[in-house]
Amino acid sequence: MRLAIVLHIFRKDLVETLRDRRTVVMAFVVPALIYPLLFTLLGSVATDKRGELERTRARVAAWGPVPASTLNAVEQQARADIVDRRDQPPADLEAEARKLVTERKVHVVLFTPPGASGTSIPVRVLADSTDVDSDAMERRISRALTDHAAELLRQRMTALGQDVSAARPLDIKEEDLADAARRGASFAAALLPYLLLVLVATSGFYAALDLTAGEKERGTLQTLLTAPVRSVEIVAGKYLAVLALTLAATLCNLGSIALTLSRATAAMETSARFSLGLSSAGAIFLTVIPAALLIVALLMAIGVLARSYREGQSYLMPILLLVMLSGFASFLPGAQLSAGTALVPLLNVTLLVHDILVGKAGATQVMVVWAVSLAWAVLGILLAARVFQTEQVLLSGEKPWRDVFSPSRSGRGLTPGNALAFAAVLLVLTFYGSVLVERRGGVAALILVSQLGFFLIPSLLWCRLFRAPLVDTLQLRWPTPRGWVATALLAAGGWSVGAVVWEQLLRFPGARAYSDWLGELLGKQGRLDLGTALVLVALLPAVAEEVTFRGVVLAGLRQSGSRWIAVVGSALVFGLFHVNPYHVVAAFAVGLLLGWVALESGSLLPGVLIHLVNNGAQVLLDRVPGLAERLHSPLIVVLALACTALGVFLMRGSRRPTAVAPADSVAVSLAAPR
Amino acid sequence: MIEARGLSKRYGEVVAASDVSFTVSAGEVVGLLGPNGAGKTTVLRMLAGVLTPTSGDVRVAGHGTEAEAFELKRALGFLTGDTALYQRLTPREVLRYFGRLHEIPETALTARIEALVARFRLTEFADRPCGKLSAGQKQRANIARAFIHDPPALILDEPTTALDVVTGRFLLEAFREARAAGKAILLSTHVLGDAEALCDRVVLLHRGKVLDQGTVADVCARAGARTLTDAFLARVGDEVAA
Repeated sequence: MRLAIVLHIFRKDLVETLRDRRTVVMAFVVPALIYPLLFTLLGSVATDKRGELERTRARVAAWGPVPASTLNAVEQQARADIVDRRDQPPADLEAEARKLVTERKVHVVLFTPPGASGTSIPVRVLADSTDVDSDAMERRISRALTDHAAELLRQRMTALGQDVSAARPLDIKEEDLADAARRGASFAAALLPYLLLVLVATSGFYAALDLTAGEKERGTLQTLLTAPVRSVEIVAGKYLAVLALTLAATLCNLGSIALTLSRATAAMETSARFSLGLSSAGAIFLTVIPAALLIVALLMAIGVLARSYREGQSYLMPILLLVMLSGFASFLPGAQLSAGTALVPLLNVTLLVHDILVGKAGATQVMVVWAVSLAWAVLGILLAARVFQTEQVLLSGEKPWRDVFSPSRSGRGLTPGNALAFAAVLLVLTFYGSVLVERRGGVAALILVSQLGFFLIPSLLWCRLFRAPLVDTLQLRWPTPRGWVATALLAAGGWSVGAVVWEQLLRFPGARAYSDWLGELLGKQGRLDLGTALVLVALLPAVAEEVTFRGVVLAGLRQSGSRWIAVVGSALVFGLFHVNPYHVVAAFAVGLLLGWVALESGSLLPGVLIHLVNNGAQVLLDRVPGLAERLHSPLIVVLALACTALGVFLMRGSRRPTAVAPADSVAVSLAAPR
Repeated sequence: MIEARGLSKRYGEVVAASDVSFTVSAGEVVGLLGPNGAGKTTVLRMLAGVLTPTSGDVRVAGHGTEAEAFELKRALGFLTGDTALYQRLTPREVLRYFGRLHEIPETALTARIEALVARFRLTEFADRPCGKLSAGQKQRANIARAFIHDPPALILDEPTTALDVVTGRFLLEAFREARAAGKAILLSTHVLGDAEALCDRVVLLHRGKVLDQGTVADVCARAGARTLTDAFLARVGDEVAA
């Protein structure tokens, strides 16, 4: 893929889209205007109505023997006009009361059953809660009645020579712990996630449609296909253009919504206040990015299937509905970010934005949602890329889906795309599977099942699916003698260097707690004998994870033609599987070394050995009392550093010289391969 | 320069092209003639590397579609009724965009754009959005786009259809000039008069198969006709009757 060509396509598509007034208006102008207008209008209507209600006198019908003093208190304190029908109570009280309220003859009906007497006179207050006026007046009348009852009680207690508190053994007062800012945040947390997701989808909707179905309809996509451009460059350029527009529109509108909500909550009766701090706004925007990556990929993949703009609108409507449904979760009181919901695309973003706003989100939650959303986004982007490589789709043929998912398209060997797809599938599988296994079998079962079931077996199946020869893909060959020496030195020194790096990471806030949690988790292995613990924590991960990350993922990324992309990409993927930010950083660093070793040695075995010794050393350090202190001495650390440096020096260029097959960098036809 | 060898394209049970073979040499104009639905567009798309043949082989300037589609596209200028211009870009912007996609250096590209603007008389509307141009102006800009990388081979599908006589003649003259410059041109057209006037050889295509090919005189002689139109009607009519 040529970056310059991608940028030319990106720039052209961006300019062309920004010259389309409809797209600009729908993406920027309408959302920027609609929120302030909507909230201002609603706020103004609500304020007018409140003022009108305050000025209006309540109309109250009194039926049955309601005490005159009570009516008098209502009349005075609630500013009410009494329709006195105490002598004519209706036969069907509720039906008659409903009729009077519906016909707006009265707001509220007070009723005391005929014959009521004694020290406690029942007074029923009948109102219609679905009628704004009746509901508001009911609150006013009830307040007046409560005050009047309190006054009557005070008079009676005084007559008895008692203090009023004697009749109130518990003096109950309800107080809200949430201050105005928290109440405002709670209000925004219900609304903002939904608005943001819908905003992302609507911002990208018209741009995606215009650059896919619109281009097909106008015939310009075929013009582009005649140029020497790879389909992956076309999809990347277009994707970036739509993504840039979507994110720009989202950012503008996030500000607009935040300001609008700030003003709206300021006008609320409940004295709630909302203001979005820069860090929260940044966190929310960062959280929305992977959601935008996925939504834009889906819009592009589905949009290009349509043969015309109109057809595209109907194709994309389900995506909009899907996004709206996911966003709707923020209104549901029971919906919470959990191990399960964190795996559901878009829903997890909704719940995370909600938690960020109410101040409940932690770094781990953000990382998990980011990693999972990114995995889904990679799958979405790969789907879009695959659709764009289908000639039946690009040339407006019949039944384009048939060609998109035709099994004959699976080529021989791995590519960067399917390596990333594999990582994404694995990430989702691992998260789902871990939750299920951990609940039923504990940590030992979790390690066993995850290493075999989530890493080793899927890796071998993936190679088989794409007909990738195992020996070449996994580099199942012996290193050179020099490679063996380098491996031994790196294995001997690497674990100690790793331990020093880990110690440094523990200085950061929150890292110690995570380390303790991890130690406690692995401490459960204490019930196992040393041999079993070494197999589970050292041998199994060393084999399975190396086959997955330095085998399948690295082999696919190697086809990009760049060693940097292969090493850094596989290390990033390896890091993301460790979820916690500190563990991600540590695993990324280890992944860089192991990826580089795999390329330099031309073999998977050195990585397996280094991984094995590193994990095994951690088990021994936990099990053997006093070993950690002895091995962390400055002399040992210096020796370990020297071993590592010498190992790196020797490892460089230690692979066997082989006849190198040309990389898959040959230009690919825009048409689908036969 | 342009070579089709046994080209076939099937969509399930539908055969769009069957065993189509012909060549176009440098400095030659070959007409691809056939009624609607004959499979001309399918053949042209396969030659341009936009569509993958079910079987057969394509070579343009020595490059095949399978492994060298990239080089093939560099060697080819392609214009069909389906290759439209970006409505919100100006002709000058379209030319610059495609020049960049062909990786022409910026300085050379600017000179090339100005030369094409002058050659195809685009000056008057070169900075006006393509969506606001007349059909003739659009076609001139589109042909300039096909020439931007100075390709040795050109595939032109109905380049003069729906154009006024003046613009049509102007473009035919431009094609003659390109032939004189040594370019290989494959011209697909319904205007048999244009084909007779411009083409060195013709290929008659019907129902995805080649019915005949050769010089206009040879094709007419084999069909026992005096003009290309009569020959075309005779051959296609025979096929329809059969």
